[in-house]
Amino acid sequence: MNGVTTVSLMGVGGQGILLAAAIIAQTASAAGLRVKTSEVHGMAQRGGSVLSTVRFGKEVWSPVTHSADVVIATELLEGHRGLGLLGPEGALVCAVSTRIPPGSVLRGEQAYPEDLQAAAAAHGVRLIAVDAEALAREAGTLRAVNVALLGAASAVLPFTAESWQRGLTAAVPAKILAVNERAFALGRDAVVPEDAQTS
Amino acid sequence: MERTLFLSGNEALAHGAARAGATFACGYPGTPSTEILETIARLEGVHAEWCVNEKVALETAIGASRAGRRTLVTMKHVGLNVAADPLLTLTETGVTAGLVIVSADDPNMNSSQNEQDNRNYAKFAKIPMLEPSDSQEAYDFVAEAFALSEEFDTPVLLRPTTRVSHGRGQIVPGVPVAFEPREYVKDVTKHLMVPQWARLRTRFVIERLQRLRVRAEESPLNVLEAGTADFGIITSGISYVYAREAFPKAWFLKLGMSHPLPYRKVAQLYQHVSRVAVVEELDPFLEEQVRMLGLPVIGKEAIPANGELDQDVVFRALEPFLSRRPPRRRRAVFPPAPRLADLPPAPDLPVRPPVLCAGCKHRSVFTALRRHKVAAMGDIGCYMLGADPPLNALDSSLCMGAGIGIMAGFNKALGRKASVAVIGDSTFFHSGITALISAHYNEADGVVLILDNRTTAMTGHQGTPGSGVRPDLTEGPAIDLQKLCEGIGVRCVTVDATDYGGLKAALKAEIDAPGLSVFVAQAPCALMVRENLGAVIVDDERCNLCGLCLEIGCPAIAPGDDAVSIIDGCTGCGLCVAVCRRGALIPAGETS
Repeated sequence: MNGVTTVSLMGVGGQGILLAAAIIAQTASAAGLRVKTSEVHGMAQRGGSVLSTVRFGKEVWSPVTHSADVVIATELLEGHRGLGLLGPEGALVCAVSTRIPPGSVLRGEQAYPEDLQAAAAAHGVRLIAVDAEALAREAGTLRAVNVALLGAASAVLPFTAESWQRGLTAAVPAKILAVNERAFALGRDAVVPEDAQTS
Repeated sequence: MERTLFLSGNEALAHGAARAGATFACGYPGTPSTEILETIARLEGVHAEWCVNEKVALETAIGASRAGRRTLVTMKHVGLNVAADPLLTLTETGVTAGLVIVSADDPNMNSSQNEQDNRNYAKFAKIPMLEPSDSQEAYDFVAEAFALSEEFDTPVLLRPTTRVSHGRGQIVPGVPVAFEPREYVKDVTKHLMVPQWARLRTRFVIERLQRLRVRAEESPLNVLEAGTADFGIITSGISYVYAREAFPKAWFLKLGMSHPLPYRKVAQLYQHVSRVAVVEELDPFLEEQVRMLGLPVIGKEAIPANGELDQDVVFRALEPFLSRRPPRRRRAVFPPAPRLADLPPAPDLPVRPPVLCAGCKHRSVFTALRRHKVAAMGDIGCYMLGADPPLNALDSSLCMGAGIGIMAGFNKALGRKASVAVIGDSTFFHSGITALISAHYNEADGVVLILDNRTTAMTGHQGTPGSGVRPDLTEGPAIDLQKLCEGIGVRCVTVDATDYGGLKAALKAEIDAPGLSVFVAQAPCALMVRENLGAVIVDDERCNLCGLCLEIGCPAIAPGDDAVSIIDGCTGCGLCVAVCRRGALIPAGETS
């Protein structure tokens, strides 16, 4: 809206959503853009749904919105949830191999949604499906699922590699920077560019 | 001739409460409120207790109201600041039996450090405010306040000021009200104010205020009194008697129920007179609302905004205005009803509320507690999550430290150990300790379960007086809960939360024992120690899907077709192993 790009990060408490949002914010800042973020703390580490919003552009007023240009979801059900925020031009970057069933699903009261590909197609949304767990494991820690996804999301976000590097360096604690840089690179390389896809 | 009594306003409030069927009263002393509780303590059929402070008093009163007893709680104006935390959430939960909060204000600080106008709390909390102007009204208004409280599911503020509380006058006593105690029903949507339920109750509060305003328009407490002069006065409480004496020929809108303001009654007054003044002590509480209606009014430019009034002050203040030309514009513009935010659409996907972590060792306490038929008055923090299905182990969560006072009032009102309190160590230090002192002093029954993880976990592991850890991570002295509670004189047992069998037996002993005790369950926060003993292994042959392990609500156990399965996140804490009766769950280290 008004030249502002909104990225919503969705996941489960403890998956590093807040760090991922901080990396994007620092990256946008490094790219010379104005940026605002918003997140809800408190319950965030207790396995609940977590939503963090990053908005950047030449001028940003509000830190929140109920729609997004890009959704980055660190879990499959949260990816389904994120579809609701996206318009037809939107992109969903989702860790499709990560499934964390909530209590109502464990108790058999509700069904875990399966086919994200079809749901995204029905929404007219571009889906970038990533096996982020495998990438994170390859990078050296399962906890880097969030940053592996960011690498994949870099395909649809307007930042240079240099800005991303500055964003990572600014937001990630030094002692886990290297493993996260590896995860980011693996995520970036896992995405086939859209042009290549269609040709 | 009817028997009349000659009572102070405070005595009249006490007699009025007893007559209205109140059987529980508590408070903290403070001029000019003190004699209310002292008087009621001498009346038959009412249990009265001093609590350790006004916050605990209100929480104790909430417990008694939940137990179905009409309850009066008393304090002075500054005391309501101390009780503001429970008050501002009590407005959401409402009451079971009537709950009336007397806030005795002290304009001119005859015996106070400030002269705050507590009518503002009625607006803040969106609850009714009744203001008696003499002893008879003090006596009568209490019954009205209890009726309003129950009809509208709201606490009611009743505000005498010094000259009402400590003035004396004749009372014609009323016929006693027959009040049948109400029954407590567990309802987490009403009593457990986690965001999910509190958001719905907030809507209820806003709608309730609209309905209360309609009632204020019809209430016999709000009277339009005809006069002969072309002059009207809007007033409430003690200010009414001053204005009545100063201007006997004026019209009056006398507001016994001063919040919410009956806008149409105000407008009616303007149909009869061309000049209107608001006479009120302290803040322009009514005046601002009258001006908001677009009506010209004489207010704080004439009537002093501080100190007490009397008839001379009122006369001298308003008399010069009566010779001036009356204002022309007299049509009220009523504010529209407020809009409520749109309800979020019903989720079409499974919702994911926060849960007690896999490996949270305090899950054992809820697992043991839910086997007992007692209400569990919870607190704020991670342990609210014990309320979620399938544990369903809590009845209530109001504000920090509130569970203990609510338990004390609930059990005292019912005369048995009908509830326990569940609180974390950090919230116990926050304000549970004062409530424990109060419960002990008043010999309340109960068990206070302190789930001691040595940190403020929900907000991100900040230090507490129990850990000694400071914000800069230096360490100060760590306070020993066991010694602290024993120092108060309360029996205290400390158990290891990881030993489910021992914990279960110890908890049963405490719930079965008479009196009050503290039960400290110790184990560090699973997120801090991140201990992983290896995932539990399921013996598919032995598992018969009885569901016992699923009832502990661990997010790392899922039911399957033939047996349960252990999924990501298991830390091997072993609670599921301990509840399994068939030996189907095996700790990682014990497979052979």
